[in-house]
Amino acid sequence: MDLRGFLKRLRREFDLMTISQTVIASVVLLLFLIAPLALMVGQAFLYKGTPSLTWFLKILGNREFVSLTPRGGMLFKVHRGIMYLWGLDYGILMNTLIVALSVMILCSLIGVAVAVIMARYSFKGKEFFRVLLLIPLLATPFVNAYVIGKLFSPRRGLINFLLCDVLHILPWRIDIDGLVGIALAQTLAFYPIVYLNVYASLMNIDPSLEEQAENLGARGFRLFRTITLPLSLPGLAAGAIIVFIFSMEDLGAPIGFIGARANPLARKVVSYQIYSSFAEALTGGISPRTAALAVLMLFITVAGFIAIKRYVSLRSYAMLTRGGRWSPRVRKLPWRAQIVIYAFLLLLVVTASMPQIGTILLATTNWATSGVLPTRFTWEYLKALTTNPDVTRAIVNSLLYSGAAVTLMILVGASIAYVVARRDIPGRSLLDILATIPVAVPGIALAIGYFLFFSSYFRRTLLDPLIDPAPLLVFAYSVRRLPFTSRAIFAGLQQIDVSLEEASLNLGAGRPTTFFRIVLPLIAPNIIGGSILSFVYSMAEVSTSVTLGALREDRVPITFFISQIVYGVAAVGAVSIGAALCVLLMSVQIIAMVISNYVLKQRVAFLGV
Amino acid sequence: MVKVVLKGITKRFGDVVAAGNVNLEIKDGEFFTLLGPSGCGKTTTLRIIAGLEQPDEGRVYFGDRDVTDLPPYKRNTGMVFQNYALWPHMSVFDNIAYGLKVRKVPKEEIKERVQRVLDLVKLRGLERRFPSQLSGGQQQRVALARVLVVEPEVLLLDEPLSNLDAKLRIEMREEIKDLQRRLKITTIYVTHDQEEAMVISDRVAIQNKGVIHQVGDPGEVYNRPKDLFVATFIGRGTLLEGIVEREEEPARIRVGDLIFQGRFSSDHKKVKRGDKVACVLRPENFSLEKPKGPSNLFEGVVEWTAFVGPYTEVRVSVGGNKILIDVPPDVKVSVGERIRVYIPQEDTIILPLEESP
Repeated sequence: MDLRGFLKRLRREFDLMTISQTVIASVVLLLFLIAPLALMVGQAFLYKGTPSLTWFLKILGNREFVSLTPRGGMLFKVHRGIMYLWGLDYGILMNTLIVALSVMILCSLIGVAVAVIMARYSFKGKEFFRVLLLIPLLATPFVNAYVIGKLFSPRRGLINFLLCDVLHILPWRIDIDGLVGIALAQTLAFYPIVYLNVYASLMNIDPSLEEQAENLGARGFRLFRTITLPLSLPGLAAGAIIVFIFSMEDLGAPIGFIGARANPLARKVVSYQIYSSFAEALTGGISPRTAALAVLMLFITVAGFIAIKRYVSLRSYAMLTRGGRWSPRVRKLPWRAQIVIYAFLLLLVVTASMPQIGTILLATTNWATSGVLPTRFTWEYLKALTTNPDVTRAIVNSLLYSGAAVTLMILVGASIAYVVARRDIPGRSLLDILATIPVAVPGIALAIGYFLFFSSYFRRTLLDPLIDPAPLLVFAYSVRRLPFTSRAIFAGLQQIDVSLEEASLNLGAGRPTTFFRIVLPLIAPNIIGGSILSFVYSMAEVSTSVTLGALREDRVPITFFISQIVYGVAAVGAVSIGAALCVLLMSVQIIAMVISNYVLKQRVAFLGV
Repeated sequence: MVKVVLKGITKRFGDVVAAGNVNLEIKDGEFFTLLGPSGCGKTTTLRIIAGLEQPDEGRVYFGDRDVTDLPPYKRNTGMVFQNYALWPHMSVFDNIAYGLKVRKVPKEEIKERVQRVLDLVKLRGLERRFPSQLSGGQQQRVALARVLVVEPEVLLLDEPLSNLDAKLRIEMREEIKDLQRRLKITTIYVTHDQEEAMVISDRVAIQNKGVIHQVGDPGEVYNRPKDLFVATFIGRGTLLEGIVEREEEPARIRVGDLIFQGRFSSDHKKVKRGDKVACVLRPENFSLEKPKGPSNLFEGVVEWTAFVGPYTEVRVSVGGNKILIDVPPDVKVSVGERIRVYIPQEDTIILPLEESP
């Protein structure tokens, strides 16, 4: 009976539409996520044809990768009136972990503070700050780190000029560079991720929980420590792990800093090492050692992600509340406390927006070459976006790739979301995991996997990256940004009561009719909202763009072009054109955010576990 | 229309039995109600009839047709969901026309039929509105119209009144009953509200933990509950445990120092002398004067009274047992007073203690 019942159930669940949805999703995920990564893992565990840990041991045993004593670098060292903040070199792998952990901790501290202020207090200009706090989310790949490097340059940096020469606050000039520079750039760029996640958590806490604690005598920091913080911990954990992963896989900050200051310490992180060995790919192939390095990174990020995801799902008790909508607790503050909040937020907003402001300055003035401050406004660089054929081609490429990727994402994302939300088939939870795991897969690892897999098994086909990287870039964008789309659609489906579909079935409509006439119109805002954001993130995608995208000159996307400019090897020269491209990216992103917030009324939680 | 037959329907969700060997025969044109506490499996049973849930065992027949393996969209049932399930992105007209469009009915005919059904549910003129612009009662009517318009063989109603306020609920249940009578459509109604079930149904099935305890017309299940569950679920009453002293009718049972004479509600041949039984006494069956037929008499002290309106609820302590009785509102009873009350032997219901089936 059991087997027969099982088969019967399968037959019922697997109607034609479910079959096609499952097949489409599985094929794309298998071919463009699992197989490449599996091949990469396989190669890393092979040494001269036999399975072995040799490559890993070679990495872990090498002082260049793991060192217990510093091999160089400077931290808080004052020399000839300059305080050097570069970071200490404990080997490439350790450096990466130290940077990622520091960024995670710093982002958590800032993010929680901002979230509590924004969720629990009311003050004038709060809506204004709400917008300003999101500025760091505007993508300015490479250029953001370049700007920070420029601002903290000991000789001609604006910050040193202001704090040391004009205001005399600092006794010495400070030089932020290398690993510290990377950590600073990443912290400023990623803290909104923690802030948004914790904020969402705080807004979901039933106010009566806090009120009950106050009623029983807890107040102030005790209330925060015993009730508020534990209840928002899932949000914090989710935000923090994303920051950790983003920091580990980030290529923008290392390349930006190298471009700005050429400090070799900025090269000593895993992502950059893998990136630089990708250059060999053009001539030879990728060495198993590079694959092993990528596998190490992949293991760390995926393990962290899965652990946090389990923790978060175990801890979702905060929502067990009974009935009714509530208005969150918002308190007015005495003016003294308000001043403290203003000072903190203002300092944060100004500091964190430096990269974006700097980018705009670079794009619209002669700041790149003028020294401490810009002296002249110019349209020249923004005009180059339409007049320089190389630049225009990169823009068109990126638009095409992102457009195609979004189409694919909707197809796959909607399929997965629908099957996971509505059908009871075996392997459903696996599909769910596969649709979210790309968040935890470093783009650079995916790039290595793609190269290994498609250049050997799809040699001389349309998918061979050495022939044309464009199709692979489209798939890479789709897979990497899939979680955003499928999550948005899933959220939409969860808001639709199943009975709406059952009513349609009951009135004689089959599954396809029900899907297209009832489900699709109802989740359209989610689909559009999700795809707009996915489009923006695809345009700003870095890791696979600067590696696979480099394989053919006429196929390069925007971000590759920017990296080359910042790196100082592009023929176009001036970093200002890179900044102009970032201005374009930011504009696209702002338009997208405005559309999804005000037109579609969607508040897509775009970054979370 | 059609009769609906369930044969040995069983459905489990993990360890929970939502339907345990359910056998029912719902007659053509009958208004049939599944009544039970929440979580008893009545909705699951209804969903199995609609085809939205697949039974683990058993068959479903519409007339002579076995529909067990038919998907919901091939069954031609009309289901009204508890939350109405109106599609928010469609107007009232589009909501109602949906089933007809799916059936590829010509446009002109759709218009005509939608108008006709709108008249039937008294909603003419609202066809351009969207569900969010309607009141709860109007939404309910749209949901009803949407299924009636396709002329289903069976009408399935899943607690359709539970989201309405008390006054509207009474109004709507009369309307539904009236519509059903006019259309003579086989109707299966699910509710946890016993009063609603009594008023509206031709026959009622009482379900608990997936199992059907009793099927009968409202008077039958009220006056002759088959077992303890039905007796306690339906109506108010006092339950006393006792031992059988004489099994022939009128049976005699002893509860502590008290002796009752009454009748067995179910098959009394299974009950023997010395067996433990329960005695169910409905408060409204008590009187202060001796009734004409044979009756039981109790004397006790008033412990507590509550004015309800049409009657006063009084709790009397009789030899350590607490008995709930209703007295007419004009009779003054005060706490501490000794009173004598009578209950006809006819209305003294004796039930076996263990729950059947």
